[in-house]
Amino acid sequence: MSDKAIEVKNVLKTFKIPLDKGKSLKQAVLGKGSRGYKTITPLNKISFDVPKGQFFGIVGRNGSGKSTLLKTIAGIYHPTSGAVKLHGSLVPFIELGVGFNPQLTGRENVYLNCALLGFARKEIDSMYQDIVDFAELEDFMDERLQNYSSGMQVRLAFSISIRAHGDILLLDEVLAVGDYAFRKKCFKYFEQLKRDKKTVVLVTHSMKNVEEFCERAILLEKGDIIFEGSGEEVAQKYEEMFVS
Amino acid sequence: MNFKNIFSRKNRILLGELVRTDFKIRYQASFLGYVWSILNPLLLFAVLYLVFANFLGVGRDIEHFPVYLLLGVVLWSFFTETTNGGLKSIVSRASLIRKISLPKYIIVISGTVSSLINLLINLAVVVVFMVFNGVEFTWQALLIFPFIIQLYILALGISFLLSALNVKMRDIGYVWEILLRAGFYATPILYPLSMVVERSEIAAQMLVINPVAQVIQDIRYFVITEDSLTAWQIFDGDYRVFISYAVVLIILFAGAFYFKKTSGNFAENV
Repeated sequence: MSDKAIEVKNVLKTFKIPLDKGKSLKQAVLGKGSRGYKTITPLNKISFDVPKGQFFGIVGRNGSGKSTLLKTIAGIYHPTSGAVKLHGSLVPFIELGVGFNPQLTGRENVYLNCALLGFARKEIDSMYQDIVDFAELEDFMDERLQNYSSGMQVRLAFSISIRAHGDILLLDEVLAVGDYAFRKKCFKYFEQLKRDKKTVVLVTHSMKNVEEFCERAILLEKGDIIFEGSGEEVAQKYEEMFVS
Repeated sequence: MNFKNIFSRKNRILLGELVRTDFKIRYQASFLGYVWSILNPLLLFAVLYLVFANFLGVGRDIEHFPVYLLLGVVLWSFFTETTNGGLKSIVSRASLIRKISLPKYIIVISGTVSSLINLLINLAVVVVFMVFNGVEFTWQALLIFPFIIQLYILALGISFLLSALNVKMRDIGYVWEILLRAGFYATPILYPLSMVVERSEIAAQMLVINPVAQVIQDIRYFVITEDSLTAWQIFDGDYRVFISYAVVLIILFAGAFYFKKTSGNFAENV
C-alpha cells in the first residue's frame, strides 16, 4: 500500500495545432506535406505527488496549464509522455453538470449524471432525496432543465457531485457558485472533506480559498511548476508575482 | 479497452442510461413522437410501392411483393439510421468527451442499441402487414434473428470506423451520405434480384457480396417467400457464399481497431 494518492511523473503534454485549422478531406489529401503545425506545450515534464488525505491546490494564471493538468489526472487527456498513477477511485468535477441535457427534467438529469459518475440505479434511488434537499429544488424536479435558471442548474449539479463517493476528488473552479447561502453550504462541504481526510485536488483562482483549504499547493506558469509550498506560501507567492 | 471491461457493471449501467436518454430526447419536441420511427420507413415504402410496383410493375412475379418490399425498406432504414447515428455519435457528444473520462465505445454502442430497438418496433409493423397479406408463418422465420445480428454487427463496425474518422475529417458525413444513396440502388431493395440475374449473372454476384444485400435477401427468403434469391443460390453454395460474412468481420475488426487506436485523443481532437 502506498500512502500516495496521486503520482504525476514527468508528464509532458503537447498539442499539435494546425496553423490553418481544418478538418476536411481536401486538406488531408493535398496539404499533408506543406501544412505547418504549431506545437504548444501546456505541461512541460511535470512531476509531483499528492499524499492520501491531502487537500492539494493548483494555481496559476490563465493558460498556465492548470486545466490541462487536471484533465490529464482525470484521464480525459493522455499524456504525450510520462505517466499519472492513481491509488483509489477518482471522481472528477472538471465542470459541473457534465452530460446535463436541457430537454430532460431535473429528475432525469440526476439519473443520467449519476450514471456518468458511475452509480447504479438503486444507489441513485437511495440518494435522490438527499440530492434534491441539498440543492433546495424540491418543487422543480419534474420540470425540464431548460426552464431552470443557471443558478438552479449549478446547484443541482453541485449537489449531485458531492454525493459521488470517491477516494480522490478533482475540483475545478466550482467554489463560486450560487448565492451566498448556497456558497456557505459548499464551504461547509469542503471543510467536511478536509475533516474526513479525503484527497482533494482543487484548481482555483481564489487565493483566499487556497490559504483557507489547501495544505499544499503548486504554482504553475507556462507549463512548469515554478513554486511549491503550503497554501499560505503559494498564495503569497502568487500575489507577489502577479498581483501588484 | 479490454474485453472484460466492455460489459462491466459500471459500463452496463452507463449504456442503459444513455440508451434511455437517447430514446427520451429523440422525439420529444415532436407531436407524433415515437410514431415517427414507424412512419418514416412506412412512408418511404408507400412511395416506392406506388411508383415502382403499381405504375412500373416491378416485382410482379414475386409472391407477397408489398411485404417483401416493406421488409427490405425497414432493414435498409435500420442500416442507414444506425450508421448515420454512429457517424455523428462521437462528434455530437464532444462536450461530454472533453469533460469526463468515460469509455468512448459505450457512446457508439448506445446509439446503435436505440436503432436496434427501433428496428424491432418496425418489424412488428411488418408482422401486421404479413397477416393482412396472408403470408404463412413458419418456424424458418426465426432465422431472421441471426441475420439481424449479422446486420447489426456490420452497422456497429461501420459506426466505429466512421465515428473515429469523423473526428479527424468532417467530410466523412458527406461521403457517407453519397455512399448510402448509391447503396440504396446498388442493393436489391425495390427491384428483385432475379431481374439482375436475367441481365448479367456477374452483376448479381457483385450485388450479393454486399452483406446488406445478402442479409435482406436471406431474411426475405426465410420469412416471406422463397422467390427471394439468396447469395447461396447465386453462388451455387460454393466458397464465395462466405465473402459477405468475411466482409462483416473485417469491417468490425478494422473499425474497432482504428477506433481503439484513436479514441485516446478524441478529447483534444473533437
